[in-house]
Amino acid sequence: MTKAVKGGSSLSRANQRRENIAGYLFMLPSLLFFLGFVIFPMGMGLFTSFFNYTMTDFTFVGLDNYRELIADPIFQKALVNTVVIVLVSVPVTCIFSLWVAAVIYRMHDRYTSLFRCIFYLPVVTGSVAVTVVWKWMFSPYTGILNYVFTNLGIISRNINWLGSADTALGCIILILLTTSVGQPIVLYVSALSNVDASLTEAAEVDGATNLQVFWKIKWPQIMPTTLYILVITTINSFQCFALIQLLTSGGPNNSTQTIMYYIYYNAFKLSRYGYGSAMGIVLAAIIAVFSALQFKLAKSDNG
Amino acid sequence: MKKLFALVLCLALLVPAFALAQTEITLWTYPIGNWTDAETVDGIIANFNEKFPDIKVSVQYLDYTSGDDQVTTAIEAGTTPDIIMEGPERLVANWGAAGKMLDLSDLWTEESSADIAAAGATLKATCTGADGKLYLYPLCMTTHCMVIDRAAFEKAGALQYIDEENRTWTTEQFRSAMKALTDAGYLSGIVYCGGQGGDQGTRALVYNLYGAQFANAEHTAYTIGSEAGIKGLTLLQEMVNEGILTADPGIVAGDAIALFCNGTTATCFCWNASSAASNKATIAEGIEPLAMAFPSDDGVPVLDGGIWGFGLFDNGDEAKVAAAKEFIRFVCDDPQQGPKSVYATGFFPVRASFGDIYTGTEKAEYADYGVFMPYLGDIYQVTPGWAAQRTEWWNLLQRIFAGGDVTAEVAVYTENVNANIK
Repeated sequence: MTKAVKGGSSLSRANQRRENIAGYLFMLPSLLFFLGFVIFPMGMGLFTSFFNYTMTDFTFVGLDNYRELIADPIFQKALVNTVVIVLVSVPVTCIFSLWVAAVIYRMHDRYTSLFRCIFYLPVVTGSVAVTVVWKWMFSPYTGILNYVFTNLGIISRNINWLGSADTALGCIILILLTTSVGQPIVLYVSALSNVDASLTEAAEVDGATNLQVFWKIKWPQIMPTTLYILVITTINSFQCFALIQLLTSGGPNNSTQTIMYYIYYNAFKLSRYGYGSAMGIVLAAIIAVFSALQFKLAKSDNG
Repeated sequence: MKKLFALVLCLALLVPAFALAQTEITLWTYPIGNWTDAETVDGIIANFNEKFPDIKVSVQYLDYTSGDDQVTTAIEAGTTPDIIMEGPERLVANWGAAGKMLDLSDLWTEESSADIAAAGATLKATCTGADGKLYLYPLCMTTHCMVIDRAAFEKAGALQYIDEENRTWTTEQFRSAMKALTDAGYLSGIVYCGGQGGDQGTRALVYNLYGAQFANAEHTAYTIGSEAGIKGLTLLQEMVNEGILTADPGIVAGDAIALFCNGTTATCFCWNASSAASNKATIAEGIEPLAMAFPSDDGVPVLDGGIWGFGLFDNGDEAKVAAAKEFIRFVCDDPQQGPKSVYATGFFPVRASFGDIYTGTEKAEYADYGVFMPYLGDIYQVTPGWAAQRTEWWNLLQRIFAGGDVTAEVAVYTENVNANIK
């Protein structure tokens, strides 16, 4: 009997080992990909940020790149602009997506799908195509926005939307919103559809108002989705680059300069790879702090 | 039978060895006239392979939006092409100065040097790096000019302000013409400054107005901050404030050209023979494009020059270097192919012996642009710190047209750009 138990135990351990090995082997391709294309470049970025790394030089400079960027007025401007983009676009994207999802998830399946498609279109459309259309709409000479607004009497003369430091960043945020809301809407529709109907019905029977049903029943259940949306929208907003490159090149007067675009400018236009890496590390740290805060707040909300 | 089979097998094994004897080289080319067109470039390569069947040339086409990024990435990854086609601002001042390019002195024979010198005395100097090495072997050149809508000028009564025969005008005439156009209800012209695209136009506009120099003759400092340069910028600021000229920090030259072609504006500050050809189909009915030199105080303009040719990246393979040099010699120097290679660019030959390559051809109107060649100025784009200068330039214009004090803003610009000169 003892022998049999011992034999069974060793068999179980062998099975367990085999399962573990199989598990690791299944993970291996994605692990290699993750190590090669995420961890290694991050490590290299951190490493090169301590060097004056250009086309002709690779000299260790310690923290000089970090000291320089702290004193760099354009980096400071880019940081402020990036934070403004995040602080405006993340809440607006989340609130707007939740509102739209709350309206369309109760519709007939056909209409829900239609609206999901409509809001998702800017996401699947290439950013170049999207920006070309927006650039045309914003044009101070032939743009439809000026045409409509002047005819409605909202503005008295054409505005150079992308050419004015007062309006350019707002325009960028607006375009970013149109390309950002698609995925959150789809996710919220799915999350709201999965809310336990028996709980909402019970609450309604107990006399809860719509607002109470939403805050007390639905909101906690869609919190994991909200957290995910907050994190990905925050990261996407911090990494706003294509719109800037295609529309304003950071201008006018650096009013749309973002950290991502400034990294690109330093690394690819001026070949200052080390300085660009230092900015990348700072950006990664800021994103990590923001994401951690969001996790923390969401957890305390749940708790 | 077995012996025959063995022989066939041996021959089959030798085939790859013969194939290996063929040298493969890669060419990356920026959009220089029809050198973006695969059919044209394939034709040139086919002509080359008639003479050099053992050299295989593969081509990658770059654009000015992402081309520099691709080259920078290739340099850092060690995957640069063997040959690259562009101008001295990249080949000489950027990658050459960084030690990434090969010296092409052996291509500059006594004969070719004399022929090129006959077309332009300073051309060889333009292809020479600060270390004295020749990083560029040129094929073609042009002058950048501007364009006006002759029909609009006529309707506005502004034709009186231009010398149609010589395509020149004075600063005062330019101001009067812009006012006449505005009074007649036209959008006279746009000083674009939304990025570096086509910035040669705004530079030439500014430095011509009162005879300033963009960089000194030694290419050791940027000098647009001179009294004449400040005067030119001040005039533009005044004209914009008066409403007889528009400044737009939201567009670049490509947008300005599109606005000219669709009739929105009556002038455009970025034009050349190649722009005329590539935009021919988009010009709206009733628009009569007339290429003009930039206005200058004495009516004698100095035009920005463009010179394009080939450079070789140092990839450490002697066989490829030799093959690449054969290709460059064939494309640039061959008496039959050379003029055809230039013809494909839409610009003018750097070899005087090629003569007029456009008259009597499908591109006969290109010959008109030859009128500007005597105004070709110093090719100052080889001044160190060029890449950073380009960004500083459009930022300077943005600050000035946003109401900044010209003298103070130019001082900031000068300090920033000259700090990058090493």
